[in-house]
Amino acid sequence: MTRLSLALQRLPRDARDTLFQLCVIGWTLLPHLSHLPAWCGLLAAAMLGWRGRLALQNGALPGRWLVAALLALAVVLTLWSEKTLLGKEAGVTMLVVLMTLKTLELRARRDALVVFFLGFFLVLTNFLYSQSLPVALSMLLSVWGLLTALVLAHMPVGRPPLRRAGGLAARAALLGAPLMVLLFLLFPRLGPLWGVPGDAAGRTGLSGSLRLGGVAEVANDDSIALRVRFAGPAPAPEAMYFRGPVLGSFDGLDWTTLRPTVPPYARLRAELRLQGEPLRYQMTIEPSRLPLLPLLEMTPDRAGAAPHIAGWQAVQRSDLQWQLDRPLTERVRLQAAAWPHYRQGPLQRQPGLRDWVTLPPGYNPRTLQWAAELQAAHPGADGRALAQLLMQHIHDGSYTYTLEPGTYGRDAIDEFWFDRKLGFCEHFAAAFVVIMRAMDVPARIVTGYQGSDPAPVNGDWIVRQSNAHAWAEYWQPGAGWQRADPTAAVAPDRIRRGRSLAPTRGFVAGAINDVSPALAARMREFWESLNNRWNQSVLNYSRGQQFDLLRQLGVHSPSWQDLATLLIGLLSTLSLAGVVWAWWDRRRQDPWQRLQRRVQQRLAALGVQVQAHDPPRRRADHVRAQLGERGRALAQTLDALDRQRYAQPGRHGPSPRWWRAFVLATRAAAPASRQSAP
Amino acid sequence: MIRRAFQRWLLNRLPATDTTLLTQRNIYIVPTKAGLAFALTLLLMLVAAINYQLNLGYVLTFLLAGAGGVSMHLTHGTLRALTLHLRPVTPVFAGEPAALDIVISNPGRERHALAVHFHDRELAGHSFAWSDVPAQGQAGVRVTLTPRTRGWQEVPLLEVETVFPFGLFKAWTVWRPATRVLAWPRLEPAPPALPRTSVAPGEQTLPQHEAGHELDGVRSYRRGDSLRQVVWKKVAKSGQLVSRETRAAGTRELWLDWASTAAPDTEHRLSRLAAWVQAAAHGGLMYGLRLPGGELAPAQGEAHRRAALDALATFR
Repeated sequence: MTRLSLALQRLPRDARDTLFQLCVIGWTLLPHLSHLPAWCGLLAAAMLGWRGRLALQNGALPGRWLVAALLALAVVLTLWSEKTLLGKEAGVTMLVVLMTLKTLELRARRDALVVFFLGFFLVLTNFLYSQSLPVALSMLLSVWGLLTALVLAHMPVGRPPLRRAGGLAARAALLGAPLMVLLFLLFPRLGPLWGVPGDAAGRTGLSGSLRLGGVAEVANDDSIALRVRFAGPAPAPEAMYFRGPVLGSFDGLDWTTLRPTVPPYARLRAELRLQGEPLRYQMTIEPSRLPLLPLLEMTPDRAGAAPHIAGWQAVQRSDLQWQLDRPLTERVRLQAAAWPHYRQGPLQRQPGLRDWVTLPPGYNPRTLQWAAELQAAHPGADGRALAQLLMQHIHDGSYTYTLEPGTYGRDAIDEFWFDRKLGFCEHFAAAFVVIMRAMDVPARIVTGYQGSDPAPVNGDWIVRQSNAHAWAEYWQPGAGWQRADPTAAVAPDRIRRGRSLAPTRGFVAGAINDVSPALAARMREFWESLNNRWNQSVLNYSRGQQFDLLRQLGVHSPSWQDLATLLIGLLSTLSLAGVVWAWWDRRRQDPWQRLQRRVQQRLAALGVQVQAHDPPRRRADHVRAQLGERGRALAQTLDALDRQRYAQPGRHGPSPRWWRAFVLATRAAAPASRQSAP
Repeated sequence: MIRRAFQRWLLNRLPATDTTLLTQRNIYIVPTKAGLAFALTLLLMLVAAINYQLNLGYVLTFLLAGAGGVSMHLTHGTLRALTLHLRPVTPVFAGEPAALDIVISNPGRERHALAVHFHDRELAGHSFAWSDVPAQGQAGVRVTLTPRTRGWQEVPLLEVETVFPFGLFKAWTVWRPATRVLAWPRLEPAPPALPRTSVAPGEQTLPQHEAGHELDGVRSYRRGDSLRQVVWKKVAKSGQLVSRETRAAGTRELWLDWASTAAPDTEHRLSRLAAWVQAAAHGGLMYGLRLPGGELAPAQGEAHRRAALDALATFR
């Protein structure tokens, strides 16, 4: 460590500053490495390493042509790996390349500034992928480093220590912090200025469409999707089905929401029939960027039960999915009621049901053949009986539930059903629905969340992205749509525990878990509550919270205009305060001068006349000359002041203790002067 | 055009003073180009934060905005309450750089990256000095001014500026020092030999040949001996500089006379006289200066040299 710092001290200043800057850039790039194409990471590392070497050896920077060639290469590689230069991934890739290439051009101050501004942008791009607490802290460090480098670039004299520049940067940032808090709290939160980018953070387990393989990624995503709190006793986690997009249209590859082909009057209606007592609950949903609310089954659209969120319009579709007017881009909290027992859908066969049995021609021929054979073997079996048979087949048919089933080809269902027999919820649900349809039973896939963490935290049941699930519904005459969860037939654990396979742990977490599961659980709990607070107070601070704040401040019906007014008012007050301070500061005297004046006044009261410009030492001489013996203590305090003034450079003013001693000494000298006066 | 006229009017209002205290009144501050670029960057970041609904994006943008806003005060504070003082300037020959020593006194915390230069862009290019000032301390900064002509010269407007800490704002002050710089006439590059010396009136005289040659001894060269005192023959033999020891230096005097300078015009004459003064002073001679409308009695020493050069500098 000391050797390192010694080596740093021996470096020329330019080299040290450049190395520091490269370190900061490297640190900022680090979180990007996991999602950048490999070539980009390697290129960036090579550039930074090369530039560092040049700095150490004081070598010449490469010429413009070489840099231009590297840039062209990077563009080609980006096109090759991302197929575009636009969009988030390609944009971040290009930004990283530009940033590292620009370090090779660090010649003038302007180049340095370009690097800083690119750096700030790069910090921002990290938040596109994660806004978690660790990322925030590491990026805070990055910003500090960038500001420090910026300060260093503006200290041309000598060789200022890094610590000094870092302190100055931190001071500026801390002084600006109140402004930041004010702006953060009150800056009106707008919706996206143009269409929500589809490539925004893929943070949801639901996507509104399904292709075999799509859920595998999120099954490992342990972040929280929603929290639910029940007014009464909570249902068992395995009974918690949160309804998301209902997928009824299959083109052979993708499952999407069904667009009815029948005329409007013939379309299916929800026909929801509720039974028993409602279950009241409160739900907090994380931003999913999907225009839907995954509500507990079955939350009806009726007064007192339907969710109500200020600023949002929620309607229930005929497939009973709750739809929003725009993608959910902020955390929302809602109250609703659900009936665990319900029936839905038409009781008699209707023309509208035809849409729910269509299958794309030419796909999965073996499965269709198998379905026809099954139906032929059980003549007269209705939907429920066939569903039973299928569940039995899945249970007995040596199917394996796995999160890594591998990729499937064109006839994915055939491959899954007969050959590989590996899959997770969506494979089972999709195969189930295809076979049911092949047997002329209306069926559909329902996606959503199922289950929750085994125990609530502070009363909140936590549903994670890893709880994302797909199940099926088939139509039974006289009963309507019936839920069937084929995954339960092969992996009852997945349903009962409400948890998919445990996500792969990090090395340290794994080690702790091995040594002490209780400690690991407690640490996990602490981390989650910390994370929860972070999410609630920072990440999910949005318009609703802003309005709550305004209400607390006494605004009855807040609007964003109120926010703007308040913000502008406060900023004006701040600048006014600045003006007042400047006015005061102009009249403020140097503390030493002020002290000199006050001492002069005190001495004058004792009858000792001194000049304003006399140093304390000369004043002491005057006191000795005019007051003699009784002024000795006073003269000594003045001498002490002289020493303080001139012996310790950098003191901002005299110590307060000195003033007390001085006042005491003047009192000691005063009575004597009164005696001698007459 | 109007702007320049306005600027001239504004600058002409500046009082000339050798010591100036920087306050709100005389410090100006504007955003730099980098500051504008920074604002643009922040705007882009804000748009990104809005469009991707990134609360941390807002935090970052506002953090930088806060730091940037504070940096305006820090930049202004880098100059505020400083006292600038210009030390008396030593005269120089025209064409040679005069050192302007500026003392910056700081009653507050440490100041960084102050740049002192001339307000005039063309002059600013020549001399640009950076300095830090320690807390409660002083720092000296030197800029140089090269007078082109002889005589009293006003010190051009000085500017003290800083962009510290982030380079987003530039604060500066314009200062008109009251001190004037005296420029002596430009030295003639290769002046003719000094005029002949004459015997000082009233002094005891020695025969010419005794005064200069045989009677005097020789001694090793001392600084201040004129080249004509050097015994070149002996130098050639021994390789060491040897001078004649002559008493004539003290007793004989040299008149540097305007009339004896065979030069085409006034400035050339003055240049030659200045060069002679330098040579005479260098040679340790007694010399007087005779100009139309006044003369300087023969004497020796630094004060005399200065008086002579000053007289030449201010000659009209």
